[in-house]
Amino acid sequence: MSIPAASPALLVPSPEASETKRRLPLVAQYLRSQQDLTAVERFARRHSAEELPNHQHYKELIPLTRPRTGEQYAFQVDLDACTGCKACVSACHHLNGLDEAEAETWRSVGLLHGGTPAVPVQQTVTTACHHCLDPACMKGCPVNAYEKSAETGIVRHLDDQCIGCQYCTLTCPYEVPQYSKSRGIVRKCDMCGDRLANGEAPACVQACPNEAISIRIVDVARALEEAQVDAFLPGAPSPGITVPTTSYVTERVFPRNMLPADFYTVRQGHQHFPLVIMLVLTQLSVGAFVVDFALERLSSGAWVTESRPYHALVGLAMGLLALGASTLHLGRPHLAFRAVVGLRTSWLSREILAFGAFAGSAVLYTLLCWYTSVDRQIGLPGVDAAVRGKLVNALGWAVATSGLGGILCSVMLYAVTGRRWWSAGRTMVRFGLTALVLGLATTLVTSCVVAVALNRFEEFSWAGVKLCWALAAATVTKLLVDGSVMANLYDKQLTELKRTAMLVRGELKKVAALRVGVALVAGVLLPLVLAEQLRGTSAVGSVVTVVVLSASFLGLLLGEMIERALFFKASSAPKMPGAF
Amino acid sequence: MNRPVKTGPAELARQILHQSDGPLTRQLVRTPGGFGLGQVPERLAPDATTTAVCGFCSTGCGLEVHLKGGAAINLSPARDYPVNIGMACPKGWEALAPLRAKDRGTVPLLRNAHGELAPVSWPVALDTFTQRMKAIQKKHGPASVAFLSTGQIPTEEMALLGALTKFGMGMVHGDGNTRQCMATAVVAYKQAFGFDAPPYSYRDFEESDVLVFVGANPCIAHPILWERVCKNSHSPEIIVVDPRRTETAMAATQHLALAPKSDLALFYGIAKCLIERGYLDQEFIARSVSGFEAFAAHVADYDLAATSEATGLAPDVIERVVDTIGRGKRVSFWWTMGVNQSHEGVRLAQALINLALITGNIGRPGTGANSITGQCNAMGSRLFSNTTNLLGGHDFGNPDHRAKIANILQIDESLIQQEDGLDYDQIMERIMAGKIKALWVVATNPAHSWINQADAQDILSRLEFLVVQDMYTSTETATRAHLYLPAAGWGEKEGTFINSERRISLLKKVARAPGEALADFYIFKLIADAWGCGDMFRGWSSPEAAFEIMRELSRGQPCDITGITGYDMLDDRRGVQWPLKEGEDVEVKSERRLFEDGHFFHSDGRARLLFEAPRAVPEPTDEKYPFVLLSGRGSSSQWHTQTRTGKSAVLRKLYPSEPYVEVSPVDASKLELQPNEWVTVESRRGKYRARVHVTHVVRPGQVFVPMHYPTANLLTLAAFDPYSRQPSYKHCAVRLEKIDAFG
Repeated sequence: MSIPAASPALLVPSPEASETKRRLPLVAQYLRSQQDLTAVERFARRHSAEELPNHQHYKELIPLTRPRTGEQYAFQVDLDACTGCKACVSACHHLNGLDEAEAETWRSVGLLHGGTPAVPVQQTVTTACHHCLDPACMKGCPVNAYEKSAETGIVRHLDDQCIGCQYCTLTCPYEVPQYSKSRGIVRKCDMCGDRLANGEAPACVQACPNEAISIRIVDVARALEEAQVDAFLPGAPSPGITVPTTSYVTERVFPRNMLPADFYTVRQGHQHFPLVIMLVLTQLSVGAFVVDFALERLSSGAWVTESRPYHALVGLAMGLLALGASTLHLGRPHLAFRAVVGLRTSWLSREILAFGAFAGSAVLYTLLCWYTSVDRQIGLPGVDAAVRGKLVNALGWAVATSGLGGILCSVMLYAVTGRRWWSAGRTMVRFGLTALVLGLATTLVTSCVVAVALNRFEEFSWAGVKLCWALAAATVTKLLVDGSVMANLYDKQLTELKRTAMLVRGELKKVAALRVGVALVAGVLLPLVLAEQLRGTSAVGSVVTVVVLSASFLGLLLGEMIERALFFKASSAPKMPGAF
Repeated sequence: MNRPVKTGPAELARQILHQSDGPLTRQLVRTPGGFGLGQVPERLAPDATTTAVCGFCSTGCGLEVHLKGGAAINLSPARDYPVNIGMACPKGWEALAPLRAKDRGTVPLLRNAHGELAPVSWPVALDTFTQRMKAIQKKHGPASVAFLSTGQIPTEEMALLGALTKFGMGMVHGDGNTRQCMATAVVAYKQAFGFDAPPYSYRDFEESDVLVFVGANPCIAHPILWERVCKNSHSPEIIVVDPRRTETAMAATQHLALAPKSDLALFYGIAKCLIERGYLDQEFIARSVSGFEAFAAHVADYDLAATSEATGLAPDVIERVVDTIGRGKRVSFWWTMGVNQSHEGVRLAQALINLALITGNIGRPGTGANSITGQCNAMGSRLFSNTTNLLGGHDFGNPDHRAKIANILQIDESLIQQEDGLDYDQIMERIMAGKIKALWVVATNPAHSWINQADAQDILSRLEFLVVQDMYTSTETATRAHLYLPAAGWGEKEGTFINSERRISLLKKVARAPGEALADFYIFKLIADAWGCGDMFRGWSSPEAAFEIMRELSRGQPCDITGITGYDMLDDRRGVQWPLKEGEDVEVKSERRLFEDGHFFHSDGRARLLFEAPRAVPEPTDEKYPFVLLSGRGSSSQWHTQTRTGKSAVLRKLYPSEPYVEVSPVDASKLELQPNEWVTVESRRGKYRARVHVTHVVRPGQVFVPMHYPTANLLTLAAFDPYSRQPSYKHCAVRLEKIDAFG
């Protein structure tokens, strides 16, 4: 917007003009006194530094006793008193000193609504951590940074122990742990445990003008019993996942169409770019080793044995790249080693262990393959060839099993979040086929390059045709499996998978189209055309084959990366009822 | 926690693998705060505290500011404050955040030859101000320069601004943004009671057995007043009259979802029924009320069937309300913008006053016809802004009043205008007509808030000289200014606010203003000096000195505050409600109501029943524009045009970032609108895109938009109440149009 200067006839006074200069002392005087803070000296002190708080006003909102065995503290929300002022959110923020720049909040207020034109109903809902009986945050944590107090049941996060993997933000169905980018850790509600220990009410309890929030002692067995029915709160995730202890009480009877105000909002998930790289490349690496391992046992070509060191090297390089990328996802990567402590409960710890074993055995395997190869050519001192053969074989098995085990851990990591889009079966097929597709593509291109270099292109052609066909079949299967979610568009309920399908068809449709297009060209068209050529005669030149296979490999890699991005972005996270 | 300290390599290894304490943990450690506070974050532990009144709404909550080295580092609601008793809404909790915003003005800005706002020194800004204003006045007459003030600055500053502009600078016209929220209540009270006197104290919320809320949603707009309702131990009947199923309607025992703007007919119908059923306080009417016979005759036409027809409410619903009010021992009537912002708001407010008067529900605990105010100091503006009233609730037209004020201020009586100046809408019209050429806007944002923005923008663009004095350089109005003056905000200066229950409370200087921003008080003093009338205001040496002058100005008025000895007394008593005559005192945390003696401020001591036949809405719906547009507060975390609440990251999280429109599922289905889909909301004056929130909270045929998004007033119709000149923001005709999702 362009606004003309005020009428040009009226000139701006010069700062040098004597009249203007005359004003300086008064301006300076006011500017000085503006900076004086006078409240403390000017007014009588009403409260002394020693004055203790008066707990009277909330004494009925917190328990008089500590929980006994089989009991714990829990939030109780009187829905009839919650009228949506949201004071609890800001009180929690200020009385707990949460991060201002990141607008950190540990409480939130959502809205349920429904009814009919004649009898409309709306209900605001305040929510925070539910201090669950079976906290998913705690179970998922690879470094045991969560503690559930045996005495109070409060689930506390150990900020200094956290490595910032953010896995708890995926496992908690209630969006409770909040990731702080500047700190590289998550933080969460601790029910103001030390306030309670001191006879003070938690910030939110103190601050609710309508006394809607209180702390009660709940019977653990009772909480478990109540979690058998999906009656926690309309629109909330099933209490069966974590057994939340908060109780929402009301004397009203909600209509059956009571839904969260954000129910129809279909939100994209977080991107988690380092995880995309890590997942795809670990699967590529494992796939390459496994396919090569199988090929050796199915094919008798000498070029297979001779190309093994190269296969191993490529697989290893990709694997190490993947593990490197995975640390980028950590807020505090230098503490990644702490993951060893979480093996008992965390699939992330197990994943790290499995891929660690995979990387270790792959390094040894690759070294041994190269040793053998060099030995065969120039003769090296050392281990007897027969023993060495057995060792290579054993290491090969170790690489394959630890790698597959690692992928299984990756699968479980997402499966245990309970998200339908990440279910064990669906994710297993997805990750497995990625390993197969990329393993085949890697093996194809590596074998071909080696065969050309060794002048054994003829030998390669025979296996190449089979591998091309396998690649095309695997790619088609993968596309079909991935695409099957679109059938959920016809769901009558707005299910998690329907939300995913809506995202894929809506906001993410360009990305999804690119993924399918790239896979069809790189994974189906190119391999089939090449197979046809290779089968016919040697009409196709070796250089062309290398180029085509490289293109196919790169295309498939890109395609799988996009697929994995969609795995995160199209995932519909469970959550508590939100506001419009 | 005192754990035994372990050392040794095993412990070190354990620490490395599992670290339960350290710098990150310590960031959130809480410690006993002292000063009666309970635990506070350790890094924000105060070394002193002081109480200041909140600067957002008229509830007037006491906030306990946590200080370190004299500066505010945190705050919590004051527990020993009689208004809020230890509670605050999110805006109060976040009161310090808007002070730290990046777009605070730090130096005066002047629009240069390239049309850009560029920094200038204060002396240059002051001389530019005076030279241009004087030049325009010289060319076009003193009345060619006007000001628009606010309900957001302390009373002392309002009084100084009003005196400076009208007595020192010769301006004739000036009004406040309070015209947009409270003018109706002012006129209604003046006509009915003889003075603008909201009669209640907040304790009445707790003492009623029947509470009637009309066009008010305190759960969202005044959460701390709702807190007081929750403290009512009499299991009260709560009647909510509102077309929408608001949060407050949900909490009510009776919700009357009447047809929009059928309220006047409803209350006349209820009055007739109350009279018929004998639910009257004959003794009170005989002693304290005039005009009953005429009123009874007027409402005789509003029988149950007609009222039911007009309002769309079933007869038994209306009868139940009549019986509830009639049988109630302590009935209170409360209204906010749903009444005030109406084309017939004054008569509507008076219809509620009438119900209170004929049933004797006034002057006793738990009763009253009670207007809940909007802005933190709208009540201060009503008494001391020198716009509609002469300072201290006096009358410009009354020679005795002019003499009294001239004497107190020691100014020439001829400097006081003898007629009222123009109201906000008339000032805007006069700018349009080219009669007003320069406008000084203080702490308000007409380029967002004034009704019918298309016209408002056009009007503002016609000014030769627009001066905006504000905390922020980014408001819709400040970005249009020729001269911008950076103002200190709440918390950066001293003064007093008057809340809805007439409580005068202190605000305190607990934060340093950024750069060269100055308290409005100082800016006014500098302008007085630059204008050449500094001597006239020598007595106004500080806000507290100005308060002394205000006390004198109030002497003998219904709002007499001569008994308030100074800021110390306000601080000690936790605010003092007016009136308090010289020599009187009140206890700490006292809560007082007016009219306990049944004596009103008209010369005959009686309250007047005022009434008039309802008028048709200015813009009824039709085939082309089939929906009624309702507007109002969106959430408790939003305030007006969001110049402050939009600066808090926490508050921003608590409301939708995009404009939205609430639509009934019935209408959504007819228009084939999906939840969350974008639609165009269009009136005859403008249109904008909004997301659809499909909800039964609004009834079929109506849509609701929150007022906080700058687009809302593209739609509204510039219709006004004829007595209060308050804009009717809450009714006009619109249509909705589907926008293709990916188009």
